[in-house]
Amino acid sequence: MFTTGKLQQIEQIAEEFDYANIKAALNFGFLTRKDYVSFLDRAGFPLIDVRNEVIDESFVEQCDLIQLNAYLFLPIRNDGKGNLIVAAADPLDEKLQSTLEIKFNLKVKFVAASDLDITWMVHKLRGEFFVKEAVFSLMKKDPDSSGLITFTDAQLVFIFFFIALSLALLTINFVNIFIFFNLFFSGFFLFAILFKLYIALKGSRYELQETVTKAELKLIENDSLPVYTILLPVYKEDKLIRKLIWNLRSLDYPRGKLDVKLLIEEDDDKTLNAVRNLDFPANFETIVVPFHMPKTKPKACNYGLFYCKGKYLTIYDAEDVPDSDQLKKVVCLFRKLPKDYIVLQGALNYFNKNENVLTRMFTLEYSYWFDYMLPGLQSLDVPIPLGGTSNHFKLDKLRELGGWDPFNVTEDADLGLRVFEKRYKVGVVNSTTLEEANNEPFNWIRQRSRWIKGYMQTTLVHMRNPVKLVGKIGWRGFFGFNFFVSFTPITFLLYPVLLSFYAVYLIFDLQSVKILFPDWVLYISIFNFIAGNTLMIYINMLAVFKRRYYELILFAMLNPFYWLMHSIAAYKGLWQLIYKPFYWEKTNHGLTKVSHSASAAAAVAAVENANKE
Amino acid sequence: MRISNSQIRIVSLLLVFYYIIMAWLLHRSGYEHSESLFYAEKLKLLFEYKENTLLTLGTTYPSTFFIGSIVFSPFGYLFAPIATSIVMMSVLYFFMVKDINDSNLPIKTLFICITILFFLHPMFIFSAVSGRNVAGIMLFFYMLFRSLFNYYKSQTTYYLSLASIYLTGLIFTEINFLWMLLSFFPFVMLISIEGIKVSKEEPFVFQYFQALNNRSLRRKLANRTVALYLILFLLPLGAVYLFRTLNAAHAGDATYFLTSQYANWRVTGTTALNTILEGVNGSNISMQTQIIFQTFTVFLAPLFILSLILFRGKLYELFTILTPLIFFSIILVDVKYYFTVEYYIIINLIGIAALTFFGAERFGKKLTPILLVGTTVLSLFAGVYYFNETNDQEEQDFLSSLTKVEQVFEPKKSSELQQVADYVATVATNKTPVLIDDASAFGIVAHLQTLDGLVLPMQKSFVTVIENPVLTAQYIVVAKRNNRLHNFTVLNAYNIGIMKERLKLSTYRVFETNNWIIYSIR
Repeated sequence: MFTTGKLQQIEQIAEEFDYANIKAALNFGFLTRKDYVSFLDRAGFPLIDVRNEVIDESFVEQCDLIQLNAYLFLPIRNDGKGNLIVAAADPLDEKLQSTLEIKFNLKVKFVAASDLDITWMVHKLRGEFFVKEAVFSLMKKDPDSSGLITFTDAQLVFIFFFIALSLALLTINFVNIFIFFNLFFSGFFLFAILFKLYIALKGSRYELQETVTKAELKLIENDSLPVYTILLPVYKEDKLIRKLIWNLRSLDYPRGKLDVKLLIEEDDDKTLNAVRNLDFPANFETIVVPFHMPKTKPKACNYGLFYCKGKYLTIYDAEDVPDSDQLKKVVCLFRKLPKDYIVLQGALNYFNKNENVLTRMFTLEYSYWFDYMLPGLQSLDVPIPLGGTSNHFKLDKLRELGGWDPFNVTEDADLGLRVFEKRYKVGVVNSTTLEEANNEPFNWIRQRSRWIKGYMQTTLVHMRNPVKLVGKIGWRGFFGFNFFVSFTPITFLLYPVLLSFYAVYLIFDLQSVKILFPDWVLYISIFNFIAGNTLMIYINMLAVFKRRYYELILFAMLNPFYWLMHSIAAYKGLWQLIYKPFYWEKTNHGLTKVSHSASAAAAVAAVENANKE
Repeated sequence: MRISNSQIRIVSLLLVFYYIIMAWLLHRSGYEHSESLFYAEKLKLLFEYKENTLLTLGTTYPSTFFIGSIVFSPFGYLFAPIATSIVMMSVLYFFMVKDINDSNLPIKTLFICITILFFLHPMFIFSAVSGRNVAGIMLFFYMLFRSLFNYYKSQTTYYLSLASIYLTGLIFTEINFLWMLLSFFPFVMLISIEGIKVSKEEPFVFQYFQALNNRSLRRKLANRTVALYLILFLLPLGAVYLFRTLNAAHAGDATYFLTSQYANWRVTGTTALNTILEGVNGSNISMQTQIIFQTFTVFLAPLFILSLILFRGKLYELFTILTPLIFFSIILVDVKYYFTVEYYIIINLIGIAALTFFGAERFGKKLTPILLVGTTVLSLFAGVYYFNETNDQEEQDFLSSLTKVEQVFEPKKSSELQQVADYVATVATNKTPVLIDDASAFGIVAHLQTLDGLVLPMQKSFVTVIENPVLTAQYIVVAKRNNRLHNFTVLNAYNIGIMKERLKLSTYRVFETNNWIIYSIR
């Protein structure tokens, strides 16, 4: 089936990763599953459906999951004739056969089974310990950082006391307390926006800065590159598997050093079958995450961590199109930076930016966040809320931190703070990953409600003891965290309230309303409202310059409406925080009709041109 | 040789002390600029008057300078505007000297030239010690162009945003500069082509030809141009819109900050061209016509001429330097009042900025410093010439007041307004209130220690009191017919005549100066 050269490559990879040869061949792009099945068939090993076999678990329990997963075998049962029937992906593997015969002191009889089915079964049968670890290890190791408890008793007392006090004060002196709240909130709104403008301006100074240059990339020798793990947590993304493979193939990194894990949920047969039916070689390993609540992305990633072999690790979504040299840039930058930098965040942007108004607004938002805010935050040395994907970790440090919080629906933002708490640093790498912008309003609100809920969760977790938090991250970090994580949902929740105050005043020329808006209150309210909105529009306008998305600039004017959508999502997120705090509001991908290849090329070219000039 | 930040700071501090001494000398000679008094009076109203604080704080214009004065008000209301202008000038000096470190011209010579200008040029000294908002205009103007020039060098949006913020500051220091937005159009058009992929070796016209005849490039060019305009203009225009809205909500008139004599000194402070023409003395207002005015301002700024001679750069950079001249062409379209020092001094500033950023040693290492120093000395003469030729009365008085050496040894002179205020202070009590309209008498109010015993237009009762002053007030401060501000107040000689007739008012003249009369009316 293979040339000698290829066979050598497969054996080399298998040795380095401690995998069976068949696993290396199937997961590193040497062999399609269809060829593999037909070969076994020809060799007299028709596949059995291992998922429907009666399994004697006493044999399975004697095996280590890591080994089962690496060598793709599953002891089924004793056939009553002194033979142990073992399902194996490679029934011709004599070395494995003799090892198992010594281990079980029985004659081993191999039957062929699909590697994917074996993987599914071994994780289902033996994955309980690991999945429990994935869910509870952070809670055991660092309970203060776990989001398992959404509201602590003290927080509940504080919230209800605050509500009760506000109501009592409103009852006693409605007008003055209303004025106080109105001014406080509108002042807060403006202050938060001014701070954002300040950070964006700071970030814009580094607009053309290249943390890793092309010349530096050229100096990297492939042999010196370490194994790099890529986690791809997916759920029912069967339509995107083909795209995923092409995106992975375009990465400029030695094939044998890419440890790619496709993390599939146990009940996700759609994606599993999509992998099974591929008619070209896959370049990833499939890991099946056994069922356990909460069914979240961080839990899947934590589970995947047990099988990772790389020195560095990153996460991509199924539809992501990273810059081809992103991994090399990260390796180069990690080598350049001091050791306390343990995470590097790549910029995210969209390949379908011009699809509709929503994707345009989304692109503006991401451009300003990743191109301007993150460099600004980095320069201020305050916690950086990591983006959902394209964050690159030093794997040992990630394990030291306890991985992601499976109960937090913005585990990335939470992890960014935990990194900072442990006195490590987050850097920003000049590389972009293009994603699919949400092009459908309800889908957008679903996604955004999860993000905003996650920010609320993160706030509640880390603000359990504000004094302790200040001790850990200092005042600057404390304010940075609160401005970018805590205040974000508050701003969105307040926006429609302030808007309605203003609308009530303008539309209903009521005497009673005027009492609530004495001259100076009206002055400050008008000032904050107009200045706040104008500045937000302005910040969004800034976003177009780095990537030269000039055609989007007028859409920044729609920002007040975009904020209203945020507000809807914020209220939904708040509702879910109370009723379904760990519920992972799934975003549907693959809705776009735009092909990413052309857009991706255009975007990369745009940034390169900008840097050249 | 580079000039370190600490060295610049030391000289900036020396400059502050120098300007304070200059201000003291002017003060001893009895010189006070009406604009400075206007701010001083507003500060007094802001801190010592309970009514209409919001209107004073929220509509007094120019806002940047007034807010700056608030910061210095603990040093005294009369001194606060002067302190503001002194500090603004030394901040301006700091940035100008800081920038020369990256210049292609001899740094030491540039440093000496700029320092000479700040210490000796009459326009610079006037801007620093008069308490006018000229210092604010100069600071924001320089920072705006500095940001644009830095943008050309680095191409980062950061500098473009800073330019937009400084442009906002400039407009809120002098509303006329809003028209400068129009003068930005040519160079923004030219910068736009910079970011478009066309053959850069070709002249601009051909680059445009290429860009406009290619569908994709045409779209890019249009988008980039619009983007640049928006990022430059959104903040200033948004801020003006916001300020108009606030004025409409609180003063009932969106342009209150521009048209009310209570909100803006310019309403009463500028000299109308007609007034100058009616005067018997010769005037130079013929200079204030298209082309001639620009030529005259350039003539008074030899450094600007030198900057054009030594200029080495791109076309859009040259256009940017010429922006103020285009701006003059726009404001001269409908000019009604006499242009004072701020319109001349900005040409000096842009000249220095152009030398710093785009100057090249075209005439060798020996001749260039001589040229620089020579034109600086010429600039000093041009400054003296300006003050000798100006038609603005307060500017005319400035140089003569400052150069009277003997005043140091003489007792301090009191200005006319000070004298009136001293009298008002002796008679104004709550039982014997003085009716005074600060639309024109702001200079008198500024000199008072307290506002007790005054009836001012800010008070709700003012209109009633005007109807029949004898019921409430004991004294009225009236602007005489020859008073320049006679027409800006209801309490003027003409109205008093009518009042006397209508109310059968008995008035007794108790105090009088050249421009003011105080009547007792009970």
